[in-house]
Amino acid sequence: MRDAAPDMPLRRRLRQGRDRLATALITAGGIGVIAAVMAIGVFLAVEVLPLFWGGGPGGPEVDLETLWLPQSYPGLEAPAHRWQPTLPDSDPGPRFGMAPLAWGTLEAAAWSLLIAVPLALGAAAHSALFMSRRLRTRLKPTLELMEALPGVVIGFVAGLVLAPWLERQLALAATLVLLLPPGLLLAGGLRGALPGGLRRRLPLGWAALWLLPWVGLVAVLAAWLAPSLEAAWFGGDLRGWIETTLGLDYAGRNAVIVGMAMGFAVMPSIYALAEDALSGVPASLAEGAQALGATRWQTLWRVVLPAASPGVLSAVMIGAGRAVGETMIVLMASGNTALMTANPLDGLRSLAASIAIELPEAAPGGLHYRLLLLAALLLFVFTFLVNTLAEVVRSRLRRRYRRLGGAP
Amino acid sequence: MSRWWRGRGRLPRGEGPWAWLAAGSVALSVLLLVLLLGLLAVRGLGHFWPADVDRVTLSDGRVLAGRAVKEAPLPGDAGRERLYRTDNRDLDGALWDWVPVDAIERVDHPDDLVVLERRRWGAFVGRLVAWLPEEGERLEGEAAWSALRARLARLERQREAIDRLREQTLLPLVRRLEHDAAGSTAALEAVRARLRALRAEMAGDRLLLESVDGRRLIQPVEAVLRAARPNAMGVGGKLVAWAEGVWRFLSEGPRAANTAGGVWPAIFGTILLVMLMSLLVTPFGVLAAVYLNEVAHQGRLTRLVRIGVRNLAGVPSIVYGVFGLGVFVYGLGGRLDAWFFEDALPSPTFGTGGLLWASLTLALLTLPVVIVATEEGLARIPDRQREGALALGATRLEMLTRVVLPMATPAMLTGVILAVARAAGEVAPLMLVGVAKLAPQVPVDGDFPFLHLERKFMHLGYHIFDAAFHGGDVQAAMPLIYATALLLVLVILVLNLTAIFLRHHLRSRHGTLSQH
Amino acid sequence: MSVKRDPAPSRGAFVDFAPEATSLEVSGFGLWYGDTAALRDLTLRVPRHRVTAFIGPSGCGKSTLLRALNRLHDLNEEVRREGSIRLEGQDIHAPEVAVAELRRRVGMVFQAPNPFPMSIYDNVAFGLRLQGGLRKRRIDDIVEWALRSAALWDEVRDRLQASAWSLSGGQQQRLVIARTLAVGPEVLLLDEPASALDPISTLKVEELIRNLKSSLTLVLVTHNMQQAARVSDYTAFLQDGELVEYAPTDTLFTNPRLRRTENYITGRMA
Repeated sequence: MRDAAPDMPLRRRLRQGRDRLATALITAGGIGVIAAVMAIGVFLAVEVLPLFWGGGPGGPEVDLETLWLPQSYPGLEAPAHRWQPTLPDSDPGPRFGMAPLAWGTLEAAAWSLLIAVPLALGAAAHSALFMSRRLRTRLKPTLELMEALPGVVIGFVAGLVLAPWLERQLALAATLVLLLPPGLLLAGGLRGALPGGLRRRLPLGWAALWLLPWVGLVAVLAAWLAPSLEAAWFGGDLRGWIETTLGLDYAGRNAVIVGMAMGFAVMPSIYALAEDALSGVPASLAEGAQALGATRWQTLWRVVLPAASPGVLSAVMIGAGRAVGETMIVLMASGNTALMTANPLDGLRSLAASIAIELPEAAPGGLHYRLLLLAALLLFVFTFLVNTLAEVVRSRLRRRYRRLGGAP
Repeated sequence: MSRWWRGRGRLPRGEGPWAWLAAGSVALSVLLLVLLLGLLAVRGLGHFWPADVDRVTLSDGRVLAGRAVKEAPLPGDAGRERLYRTDNRDLDGALWDWVPVDAIERVDHPDDLVVLERRRWGAFVGRLVAWLPEEGERLEGEAAWSALRARLARLERQREAIDRLREQTLLPLVRRLEHDAAGSTAALEAVRARLRALRAEMAGDRLLLESVDGRRLIQPVEAVLRAARPNAMGVGGKLVAWAEGVWRFLSEGPRAANTAGGVWPAIFGTILLVMLMSLLVTPFGVLAAVYLNEVAHQGRLTRLVRIGVRNLAGVPSIVYGVFGLGVFVYGLGGRLDAWFFEDALPSPTFGTGGLLWASLTLALLTLPVVIVATEEGLARIPDRQREGALALGATRLEMLTRVVLPMATPAMLTGVILAVARAAGEVAPLMLVGVAKLAPQVPVDGDFPFLHLERKFMHLGYHIFDAAFHGGDVQAAMPLIYATALLLVLVILVLNLTAIFLRHHLRSRHGTLSQH
Repeated sequence: MSVKRDPAPSRGAFVDFAPEATSLEVSGFGLWYGDTAALRDLTLRVPRHRVTAFIGPSGCGKSTLLRALNRLHDLNEEVRREGSIRLEGQDIHAPEVAVAELRRRVGMVFQAPNPFPMSIYDNVAFGLRLQGGLRKRRIDDIVEWALRSAALWDEVRDRLQASAWSLSGGQQQRLVIARTLAVGPEVLLLDEPASALDPISTLKVEELIRNLKSSLTLVLVTHNMQQAARVSDYTAFLQDGELVEYAPTDTLFTNPRLRRTENYITGRMA
C-alpha cells in the first residue's frame, strides 16, 4: 500500500466515485423494485376505473346498483342476483351482480375460520402453556410445515376424496363431530381417575401424542354408533332427512367441505402467529398468577390471553386474509356455483376462483375483463387493509412486551 | 393469619376441562396432517406396486379379472358391492365393473394372467394364447411369453432410437428449413426414410390374447409398452417392478390425456420455472432489502414502505396472476410482439402466457418474502461490524460487499428457499400466465437460443388440477394424481426443511457472534 | 449463646426449632436439573412468624430452594427431587395436596415486579376471584385491607381503576405483595424483592417486611447483606447447593463459625 502512496488521491477519488455510483444504483434499484411491487394496486385501479365511465362500448351501464343489488330479469318475479357476464351482448339487462361472488368468498372464509380458529387457538394455548418443552421444539415446526402444503393438493383431497366420502358417510362425520369434544373431556376425566403411577406416565405435557390413539378410538366408536343413531333419529338416511325435512339442498362439493379444507390450510398460520403471541408474554406474569394459586388454564385465561389478545386477534385477521384470497382450494372443493344462499351444504363461487376460471377467456379491455379486475382489486384492498391492521396491532403488542421487560 | 375469608368456591384440583380440549386440538391437527400425508404416500406409492390380479367367478357363471379398488354398500341393505378395475377397454367398452360381493363365488390368482400396457385402449388383462410372428412359426405357452419379453426389449431400444433421431436430427432440420426455405430437402428426406424404416421394423409381430371369459383378440406388438405377470412374481420381483414403475413415473411423459404415463415434463417445467424465478427474485430482492436497510433514511416513510412490503406477502396469489396477465402478458408481451415479432402476428409470440411471464409473476409474488428475510438478516448484523469496516477506511460499497453482504448470505439463502417453496406450490397465478395442460415440447432444446422463454410449460400443481378436474375418467387418473401430489408435497417439504435448517444454522452462528 | 471460636471448625452453626414453632420443615431435600445437582441434602426448619433469609453467592441454589417451597418447579419435567418439604407438618408433595391450594398458602413475590396488565383493583382481586364465591363487598374490603397491609392504600386509593403499569417500580412491587396478601397466605416467599428498586422504595419494602412478620412467616432470598442484616431474624448461608451455616442473623453476621462464611460475608459487606 505504501508503494502506491503517490496514486492515493486518484485512487481515492475513483473509489469514492464508484461508491457514489453504487449508492445511486442501489437507491434507484431499490426504489424501482419497491415501486414495481406497489404498482399492483395502481395497475388494478387504473384498469378498473373505465368501468364506471360508461362501461364497455355499447354495453350495459355499470354502477354500484347493477353490481351489488338484485336486478329484475324478464321471466322472473322477484329481482335476483346474476353472475353471467359471458352471455352475449344481445342479452338485455346487466348480468354481473358481484354480490354472489362476494357472498361466496365471505361464506367460504367464515366457514374455514369457524373450523380453523378454535383448532388453532386451542393448539396454540396448549403448546404455549402446557406442552413439554421437548415435544414443543419438534411439534411446532411440524405444524408450521403444514402451512407449506400446496393449496392444489389440499383442494384435490377435499374435492375428490373428502367430498365423496362425506356424501356417503354424512352420519359418521356428524357423529364424530359430536363425540370428539366429550371424548376428549372423558380422556381428561379418566386420566384423573387413574392410579398415580399410570397417571404420571400420561403427563398433560405429552397429551398431544398420547391422545392420538384415543382420538382414533373415538373415531371407531363413532363409526360403530353412527348407523344406529342415523336409523334412530333420521330414518336411516341423514342426507335424505336434510333434503326433505330441512328443505336444504345437498351439493357434493359445498361450503362445509371448503371450510374444512381451507380451515386445515389456514390453521397453521393462525396457530404459528398466536403461539408466538402467547409464548411471547413475559414468563413473570404467568409465574405471578401461578404463585397466587391459579391453575395453568386460569393463568392462560385470565392473564396470558388478555395480555396477548392483540397478537391473537392479528393472527386471526391474517388467517382471514388468507382464507379470502385462497384460490385453488375453493376452486376444487366448492362446485363453483354462483349462489346466494345461507345453506352451508350448497355450493358457492368465490371472487378468486372466478378470476382463475374466467380471466384467461376474457378479452383484454372488455367489460368482462374489467369486471374480473374489479374482483381482483377488491381482494387486494381487503387483504391489504386486513394485513396492515394486523401488522399495526402486532407492533403495538411488541412495544408493550418490551415495556414490560421480559422475564426476570 | 387465618383464612377467614375463604370463599364457598372450591379450587379445582386439575386443570379443568378446557385444557383437554386444547390438548385435543393439537392431537387432532397432528392426526389430520398424518392422515393426509399417509393417504398421499400410501395411494401415491401403492399405485406402482404390481398387485396380484384377481380372477373372480360369479354365481351366474360370469368370469372377470381385475384388481379390487373399493367397496360400497348397496342401497337398501342389499349387501355390498365391489368395484373392480378390469381394463380391456377395447373388449368391454369400460374400465370398471361393479360386482355384488354376495354374487362372488370364487376368487383365485392364476399365474398365467398377463397385464399388458398398451399405447391405445389402456391396459389388457387376460391370458397370452399365442405369439404370431410376421415370419416364423406360431409359439404358445411359456415360449410365447419369452418371445414377447425378448421382442419388447428390442422394441424399447428401437423406440429410443426413433426418439433420438427425431430430437437430434429431424427437428433441427425442420426448424432450419422454416427459416431458410432454400435449404436442402434431401437431408430431410433421408432422415424421414430412416424413420420409416425403423417404424417398419417394429411393426409386424402380433399377439393372440384371450380375456378370462374367453373373448379373443389380435394385438399388434408394436403398440405394447410393457408386459408383466404379477401373480407369478415373487416379492423381490414385485419390488423391482415397483421401483421401475416409480422411475418411469418420474422420467416419462404423460399418456392418455394425462391419466397415465409419467410426469417428467411437469417436473422439468416446475423446476425450470422455479429456477428462473429465483434467478430473477434474488438480485432484486437483495437490492431492495439493502436499499431499505442500509441506504434509505430510516424515517416514517421507510417504516411505512416496510410495512407495505410485508403486507404484500399476504396479498392473494391470484391478484399477482392478474397483474402478470395485464402488465406482463398483454402489456409488455403485446408491445414486444408489435416491435419484434410482427411477422408472426396475429398469432402472439410473447403476447400470450409463457415461461418468462410466469417466472416474472412468481418472482414478483415472492419478492416480499426475500426482502423480509434479507432485511432480517441485515438487521441482525451488529452496527459495530459496519463501523469497524468504515473505521478502516472502507467506502460504503466496500463495507457492504466485503462485510455486510457475506454475513447476510445465509439469511438471503433462507429467503430464496422460502420463496422457492412458496412458488413451487402456487398454481392459481400460473393458470393466468402460461401453464399448459400438455406442452408438446419442453422449453429447453438443442435449438438456438436453447431456452425458449415464450413457450408454455407444464407444472406439477397444474397437472394435479387438470387431471382431477378436466380429465375424462377421474377414477382412472386418481392413482397418478395421488403420486403427483405426493411428489409435489415432497419437493416442497424438502425445500422447507432446507430453509429451517439454514435458519437454525444462521441463528447459532449469530448467537456465537453476539457473545464476543 | 457463648460459642467459643474454634480455629478450624468442620461444621457450621445450626439453629433448630421445636416442631410447634416451625412453619416449614425441609429434610434431606435434593434437587437436580437433568444431571446437575442444584440442591444437596438440605435440612432446616423455618420458624413461624419470623423473617428467615437465605444468602449465598449466585448459583448457590437459594432461589431454587425458595421456588421449591411452593412447587414452582413442577412445570419443568427436567427436574428431579428427593427428600421432603413439610408445611405445618404436611408433606407438600403428597398426592392429596392440590398444588393450587399449596400456592395460596405459600405466596411468592418475584425479583422484578410483575403486575398483570389490568387495573390495580383487578390485580389485587385476581387471586380472590380465582376461587369464586365471594361477594363484591367482601372483595372490596379485602382489597382495601391488603393494600393497607402493603402500605400502598394511601397512594392508590383514588385510582384503583388505573392500570397497574402506571405505578412506579416500588409501588408495583408493593402491589404485588398486596396481591399475594389478599389470598391470605401463611408463608410469604420473597425472591430478591428489592433488587430492581431504588433505595427509597427498597426501604419501604423492607419496612413492610418487618411489619408483616407479626402475622406471617417470611422467607427472603437476597444477595444484599445489609438487607439480610436489617430485615431478617435468622439467616441461612448456602453454597454450591449445600447449607453451610444457619444461625440467628446477629450471630451469623458478627460471629460466623466457618471461614468461608466469614469470607463471603465480609467480602460482600465491604
